[in-house]
Amino acid sequence: MHRDIRVSNYILAAFSALSLTMLSLPLSAPVRAFKACALYLSDPLAFYGIRGAQRMADIPAGTARLLSADMANVRLEAQLRDAAWLKTELEVLRTENRRLTQALSLRAAPGYAPIWAGVMERDPLHWYDNIMVDAGSERGVRLNAPVFGDRDGALVAVGRVTEVRRDSAIVMLLTDELSSLAAYLSTAAVDGLVQGQGGPRLRMNYLHSEAVLAAGDLVYTSPTSATFPGDILVGRIAALNPRDPFLTFQSAEVDLAVDAAKLSHVMILRPRTPGEALEAASAKTEASAAPPVKADKPGPPEKADKSGPLAKADKPGPPAKADKPGPPAEAAP
Amino acid sequence: MNHLRGAILFVAAAFVQWWWSAHWSFWGLSPQILLVLTMTIAARRGPNAGMGYGFLWGLFLDTLQPRLFGANAFALMLTGYGTGMARRQIDVVDALSQCLLVLLMSWGYFLVLGLLGMVFVKSFWWAGWGAFLCDPLYNCCMIPAASVCWQWLRSRP
Repeated sequence: MHRDIRVSNYILAAFSALSLTMLSLPLSAPVRAFKACALYLSDPLAFYGIRGAQRMADIPAGTARLLSADMANVRLEAQLRDAAWLKTELEVLRTENRRLTQALSLRAAPGYAPIWAGVMERDPLHWYDNIMVDAGSERGVRLNAPVFGDRDGALVAVGRVTEVRRDSAIVMLLTDELSSLAAYLSTAAVDGLVQGQGGPRLRMNYLHSEAVLAAGDLVYTSPTSATFPGDILVGRIAALNPRDPFLTFQSAEVDLAVDAAKLSHVMILRPRTPGEALEAASAKTEASAAPPVKADKPGPPEKADKSGPLAKADKPGPPAKADKPGPPAEAAP
Repeated sequence: MNHLRGAILFVAAAFVQWWWSAHWSFWGLSPQILLVLTMTIAARRGPNAGMGYGFLWGLFLDTLQPRLFGANAFALMLTGYGTGMARRQIDVVDALSQCLLVLLMSWGYFLVLGLLGMVFVKSFWWAGWGAFLCDPLYNCCMIPAASVCWQWLRSRP
């Protein structure tokens, strides 16, 4: 009996030493190698699990699609006939857009392409911290890439990629305590820093002390954000925190535009592939070879530096950056 | 239980835990199946088997999270050790005592994770009051399933 206890104590000591070494030296080479081995063994479980689950879930839907395929086929054939003309029209408009962009000295749109990914896993104990998605480095996901969710067909900010694996990636949600994001209020036209609190709500700090705020104001990503394109909806002001006379700024609670608990799919922006970049470069060359258009009013437009693929022209623009104190830089994860 | 059955149990339990967390979480709550199974194994096979399974399942949980790699392995391994040692003093196979032990070990698990967070990342790794209060009860509901699973594995020729 005593021998059994002694053996158990030895095993306890060995496992404890191993665990504490992994905890205290997370960046050392042996621990990283060990973690890589553990990831290699355990990642397929979640990755192929979600694939299998999707396949099983698709069986009834696939049957229904098969039944309606013929009807859809007839309709699509009719649309296809119109598509030829639409394609030609699109090419003409694209060429014109390039020519005008060149003529007005606008900066080209950043080279990003979207990746749609499914949410594979989330930790119930830390619900608002992070999620794991089924797209990794093989599909072009990069560290710190912005991640968006869907709300009634519009994209909203969700988080950023903090760990990239071969077939999966971990996304730090905006609600994580370590997350922060430069944002602005649409109605009050003030910049601030949206920070996670580990709960369903965010806190927007560093709002100008004289700004008039109201519950319900929409919060958008700021063009000064290092990670996100500008003018992406983050949420809306839920409540204003009482003013602290010893602080030179105001703060407010923000409700997320998309409920983090209901995320099933997300969109990640990835840099364009070399082939896509080459195509863009050739298009630029083609545009520069086109005859220049004489602009009536030379000079950059108001939002010359903000031409993200998701920017919406009809939204209220952010306040000018030079005439008021800007928020602190976003914290790196 | 031979090695093949052990491997099947390990993979199946990890898969069920992942599936439940990913798809069946209700208000962010899901049972800690791996913790309950670690205790079931430790209660029936002793602390060594409990620690082994707990450590490996903990590593699986750690790979699903970006921070504190090793924390779940440490906490589940301690759970296996504690249950294995308790079986020398009390009848941990009995349903009532097993429920009490699961309640205590679940809260202990949260506290160990929190303390590891305090030591290694300078902030108490708090799971939230909802999980702290409800998960142990949820875990108790998993005890019969874990027992049936164990009996089924034992009864296979």
